[in-house]
Amino acid sequence: MTPVALLGLLLALCGAGALLAVVLPDRRLPEGVAGVGALASLSLVWLGSAGLASPHTPGLRLWTVPELGTLTLVVDPLSSLFVLLCGLVYLPVSLYSLGYLRHYVGRAGLRRFGVLYHGLCGSVALVLLAGDVLTFLLAWEAMAVLSYLLVVFDDDRDSSIRAGWMMLAVGEAGTLAGALAFFLLAAAARSGEFAAMRHAVATLPEGLRWGVFLLAFFGFGVKAGLVPMSSWLPRAHPAAPGNVSALLSGVIVNLGIYGIVRVVLDIAPPQTLGPGVVALLVGSLSALIGILYATTQTDLKVVLAHSSVEHMGIVTAAIGAGLVFRASGHPVLAAMADLAALYHLGNHALFKALLFLGAGAVDRGAGLRDMDRLGGLVKRMPGTALAVLGGTLSIAALPPLNGFVTEWLVLQTLLRSVVLRETVVKIVFALCGAALALTAALAVTAFVRAYAMSFLGIPRSKEAAQAREVHPTMVGAMVGLSLACLGAGVLPTFIIATLDRVVAPLVHAHVLDALVPPFFAPAAAVPPLPQAFLKEFYALGAQVGRGIVPGRGLVVLHRGGPQNPVVFAMSTSYMVVVLLLFVGVTGAVVRVLARRKVVRAPCWAGGLWRLPPDMTYTATGFSTPVRVVFRAVFHPSAPEEVVDTVGGYWRRAVKRIPHETYVVDRLVSRPLTRGARRVADALATLHHGYINAYVAYVLATLLILLAVGRMP
Amino acid sequence: MISTGTRNRLQDTVDAARARWPEVLSLSVDPYYQIADLRCPPALLPDLAEWLVADRAYAFGGLVVEDADARWDLRYLFYGTRGAGQVHLVAASGKPAVVPSISPRVHAADWHEREAEDLFGLVFEGHPRLGDFVLHNEIWPEAVVPLRQDVGLDRLRPRPEPDPGWRPLRVVQAPGAFLMPVGPIYSDVTAPTFFILETVGEDVIRVFPRLFYAYRGVEKIAVGRSVEDVLLLAERVAATSSFAHSLAFCQAVEALAGVRLPARARVLRSILAELERLRYHVGVLRDVCEATALAVAASQAAILEEELLRLSCVLTGHRYLFGMNRPGGLTRDVEDSQLHKAARDLEAIETRIGELWQGLRSTPSFLDRVEEVGILSQADALFHGLVGPVARASGVARDLRVDQPYGGYDLFEVTVPLEQEGDGFARLQVWVAEALEAVRLIRRGVMALPGGPVSVSCDPVPGAGLGWVEAPGGAAFHWVRVGDGGRVLRYRLITPSFTNWHGFHLAAERFAFQDFPIILATFGLSVPENDR
Amino acid sequence: MTRWVLRGLGTGVKTTPYPEEDERADGVTPGRPAAAAVGSGAHESLVARCPSGALTEGPRGIEVDMRRCVHCYRCSRGPDAPLPWRTDYQWASVREGVRPLGRPWARSLHILVVDAGDCGACLREVRQLTSPYYNLHRLGFFITPTPRLADLLLVVGPVTAPMVWPLQRAYEAMPTPKRVIAVGACALSTGVFGPSPLCRAVAEVLPVDVEVPGSPPPPLAILHGLLVAAGRAPSRGVVG
Repeated sequence: MTPVALLGLLLALCGAGALLAVVLPDRRLPEGVAGVGALASLSLVWLGSAGLASPHTPGLRLWTVPELGTLTLVVDPLSSLFVLLCGLVYLPVSLYSLGYLRHYVGRAGLRRFGVLYHGLCGSVALVLLAGDVLTFLLAWEAMAVLSYLLVVFDDDRDSSIRAGWMMLAVGEAGTLAGALAFFLLAAAARSGEFAAMRHAVATLPEGLRWGVFLLAFFGFGVKAGLVPMSSWLPRAHPAAPGNVSALLSGVIVNLGIYGIVRVVLDIAPPQTLGPGVVALLVGSLSALIGILYATTQTDLKVVLAHSSVEHMGIVTAAIGAGLVFRASGHPVLAAMADLAALYHLGNHALFKALLFLGAGAVDRGAGLRDMDRLGGLVKRMPGTALAVLGGTLSIAALPPLNGFVTEWLVLQTLLRSVVLRETVVKIVFALCGAALALTAALAVTAFVRAYAMSFLGIPRSKEAAQAREVHPTMVGAMVGLSLACLGAGVLPTFIIATLDRVVAPLVHAHVLDALVPPFFAPAAAVPPLPQAFLKEFYALGAQVGRGIVPGRGLVVLHRGGPQNPVVFAMSTSYMVVVLLLFVGVTGAVVRVLARRKVVRAPCWAGGLWRLPPDMTYTATGFSTPVRVVFRAVFHPSAPEEVVDTVGGYWRRAVKRIPHETYVVDRLVSRPLTRGARRVADALATLHHGYINAYVAYVLATLLILLAVGRMP
Repeated sequence: MISTGTRNRLQDTVDAARARWPEVLSLSVDPYYQIADLRCPPALLPDLAEWLVADRAYAFGGLVVEDADARWDLRYLFYGTRGAGQVHLVAASGKPAVVPSISPRVHAADWHEREAEDLFGLVFEGHPRLGDFVLHNEIWPEAVVPLRQDVGLDRLRPRPEPDPGWRPLRVVQAPGAFLMPVGPIYSDVTAPTFFILETVGEDVIRVFPRLFYAYRGVEKIAVGRSVEDVLLLAERVAATSSFAHSLAFCQAVEALAGVRLPARARVLRSILAELERLRYHVGVLRDVCEATALAVAASQAAILEEELLRLSCVLTGHRYLFGMNRPGGLTRDVEDSQLHKAARDLEAIETRIGELWQGLRSTPSFLDRVEEVGILSQADALFHGLVGPVARASGVARDLRVDQPYGGYDLFEVTVPLEQEGDGFARLQVWVAEALEAVRLIRRGVMALPGGPVSVSCDPVPGAGLGWVEAPGGAAFHWVRVGDGGRVLRYRLITPSFTNWHGFHLAAERFAFQDFPIILATFGLSVPENDR
Repeated sequence: MTRWVLRGLGTGVKTTPYPEEDERADGVTPGRPAAAAVGSGAHESLVARCPSGALTEGPRGIEVDMRRCVHCYRCSRGPDAPLPWRTDYQWASVREGVRPLGRPWARSLHILVVDAGDCGACLREVRQLTSPYYNLHRLGFFITPTPRLADLLLVVGPVTAPMVWPLQRAYEAMPTPKRVIAVGACALSTGVFGPSPLCRAVAEVLPVDVEVPGSPPPPLAILHGLLVAAGRAPSRGVVG
């Protein structure tokens, strides 16, 4: 089917889903929502794949709005990639919803949920496929409102309502900035269509290009959760129900990146180094701040939300690196950086959705998300634990999973900054690379802590001790996602081949040859590699699989000049084979040779008869060293301590109440709010109630407008 | 031993007490030992005790509880500085007991009252933390009170398995607070203690040392045994201070029997007591060096400790000075030539201790770990009634050799070192200064050693007596009541470790985990001495 | 730090030549009473003098059960025919029917030291083993704080009621093969503390393999006990 037809199918399914949500009886609602949602996501996947596979970019002109332009939809490789990702996340989330929504059967909100769910699916697809400003903004606003409604769907608490409201408000501010960027471009192009803007961009003066970049970057960066604008993210993601959180982190934040990529990479790429450096710095900062907070928070979902900030930071840093390479005249490296960014975005969508679904499952099974009170869930919820383990290993960037592949690619790309000429830029690259490396290390800490405190050890509360495994569809959806993570990690060369088709039109250079040498093709087709190295790689087994596995090869390898034939090389595909062999052989040997049985004994606890759970490390205790070392970021005020004694000397309670503010709030949001209040207070002096003065205001405004209107 | 000035100060206190509280009776004032027994009704105890400590500058030494058939006999020991003697408050209460707790006013009595409640079942009204002290609740059912007269040893039955529901008292309420358990089996070679450290991650907010894992029931075993057999118990309660405790026990029996020792016995006893003090202090120095992981310094200190053990064995036949004391003197004499040779060997040891200390003081990494770490303020030390080198490092100048001279110490001028900062470094300075002072005292003793017999016969008559020593860890009191036939009816030991463990948590709280073993080592506490 | 290194080097070698040669220095051992015939009239009073029942009257005179001797010196000091005194230190013995640990452990043994209620003397003597004078590391013995890595459980002191279960937990936590060595008179026979619900001998709680008597046994005796446990020294009888 043609992409256009698929799009129609998708929209029809979304409509059907919304309709069914209103019409179906209560008991069947979860199945209805989940079923149609699954079908819709399958069509998304199909649409995305079709768009990627097709050699031309079909467009669709919808109706024309007078004075504003024609609404167009365009299916180009970039959009198709994002649509595919969206579908890959929507599918397991829909399956998960089958079990998750059973909890809500009988409640009035469930119908509303069904309508919103399908509406969101449709609006996201429209945002991604929009071909002109008007469509984009209309769909974007629909998406913003629908996601807000989904976030505040379930929770009645004050903090959650405020969190949703903050998401909407801050999001609107970002949308405004993004819209301004688009309007600037449209004014230069005298048309709202992206194709026209692309041609007109060459006429823009430097200052305006900077303006467009800054507005688009910081405007869409709000949706992506980058650091100066990330106050809403750690509040909104935890407030949403489990499957919606997965959507937020797996689909909605991608839209922010999509906006940035569309404007900054596709339509109006900068020609100086400045914007790239800005993006790189903002990205690295977001990554560091995100992971620092992820390491020290105790609510599972808050940890994951901060981790989303971190990963969006990594993606942005890679995009920034790409911009710098492009402006310096290294299109292949730029393509590599952009490819790494998009690959990481996809991987993040997969494992973050998995982790959020897991957090939702923990919340459902144990009734709480506070890591200081969880523990031992691996015995009570084994399926969830196994699936979440896959997600944890991915997000901690452990080979051979997908997180490792893209973190590695991003860092290697940053190392390629040696080819740049400007020393200052190289230093910036080095610092940001170091920051990202630190981030990777902290990520391991953060997720070892998150997994160990929640799932391993002994249960720290009654609720955790009585946790129950969740509905099989929920477990199945999570297991499916972890298999997808494994797949995305084990088959990088295929994914790189696909992403090359997305990135090539943006930077006008192919990176496939630079990253995946065709080991499976005849040797003569690989002239740039010297024979000696080729022999070595064949000796290492780079040709194993030729004839069995389709494609060019299974090794990711970047070639430098003749002095430096191999700059970096990696193959998770072969790694997985070797790992399996190793585990298998060792296991067999141990089985055969072992003469003694394994004895299970209670844990040694210094001679204690039983180790009670309050004598084990808590999540807060585990992260205190990080909190202490990075004191400057956390800036904790001295905790308030209240000592309650009996008879003056025997202490009954020592209460410690910590006070800590999120660094972005402390340094950005609060000062801005205070400043805005001050301005508002100053302006409020105009509201004094004297009607004579108000009449004077009206008169003055009229005179000013007349004067302005008369100007040519 | 006593000067006329003393008599007046003690008598002044007695007169002032009687003037203020007419119900107080002066039972007796022993002129030789300068001990005044004041009988008062139990209701007056808190006021009197606080007055003695706050207004008359006495220190609380301990509480002796005796189970007479129809009543409880309580004896609160207070001792003053040089010349002020001792005041014992004697109270009796019928059974069941109605005794107010003095701990809110005189906090040093806290653990004494808890121990009495656990072992006797004697409830002190107003004490908020009775129970689960000596007899651990997860092992012993509540009703077990071993020290009562009518409870035989064979009637004590622990639970077949520890109660899995036992939980320690949790004090810290903070998000993410948890308990860090250390023990009872921990580290390489340590005595059994269970530390519960409450923390939120980095620094320790509250330290709760749970002791009495080495509780052998010495006070119970002693009942009904002969004085010679109880002497063996006194030696083996805490072997690193064995001579000091056996000395205190013998002095109690000698006081009871009214026996005066020959001069050679007294001086020789002091020499051996100082030798033990020297070896104990060098052992503490070694423990601190090992805790701070200074391997060479620890080895040097270990060499010194082993040499002192060997010297002890050469002089007395036993490395820990077992079997030397007996009521009436010593069990064997030590040849003068051997003593002179020992004094010469000790000169070399004194030099090496000085060099070791000098080396430690110039090692910045070592100083970093003991300076300003484990601070115990003078107010806390006074309020909790701490004794020994630990208290002297916090500015509390109390030493029984000077305040309540005994044995041969009236012949020596003992210089007691005093520091004010109360941190680990101050304590180390005191340990080292006292070790060096011990060498000097031994030398002086050996020079001034008279000839003569080393023992007189001592037949214990029925009655009760108190013996006290400045053990290496601080003040120790032994109370012995002997019945007919030379059988011991009640034996109470108050040890310096029992007093000082009470205040250990004050120094260890608010510091990081890594500092904990070092602070523990600088306190030089003994677990078996506390647990008995 | 160089100052410490130089000082350490300047101290020279202090280590005892035991077990290659006999240690002859003064003060390394408190010695022990030796079995002897001391004149039949004095037997009864001598046996009665021993507070822990270590002396018994045998066919050839007084016999000494070293496991019960608490070093009170009553049998060797005083007017009535004192027992002769031996200044040796190799006192450890293996209980019957116990196999030595085996070849891999003969050269390297990891020891977990548990104080079950000791007075402090035996524990201090065990600590002296790591001093330069005795240096048990040169013999391949290492002290470990965790039972998971230990081959040998060294128990000092009588087992008090609160320490029964931690001791059992420690023993259970040790992987096989494992042995137990009980050090000191209190560990072997509760010494002067007497069997009671408050104090037990180690053999009542755990299967003891090697016994080292003494109160306290000097470090050399404990070393001998470790060598016996490793199968590198012959076990000595406890009688005579």
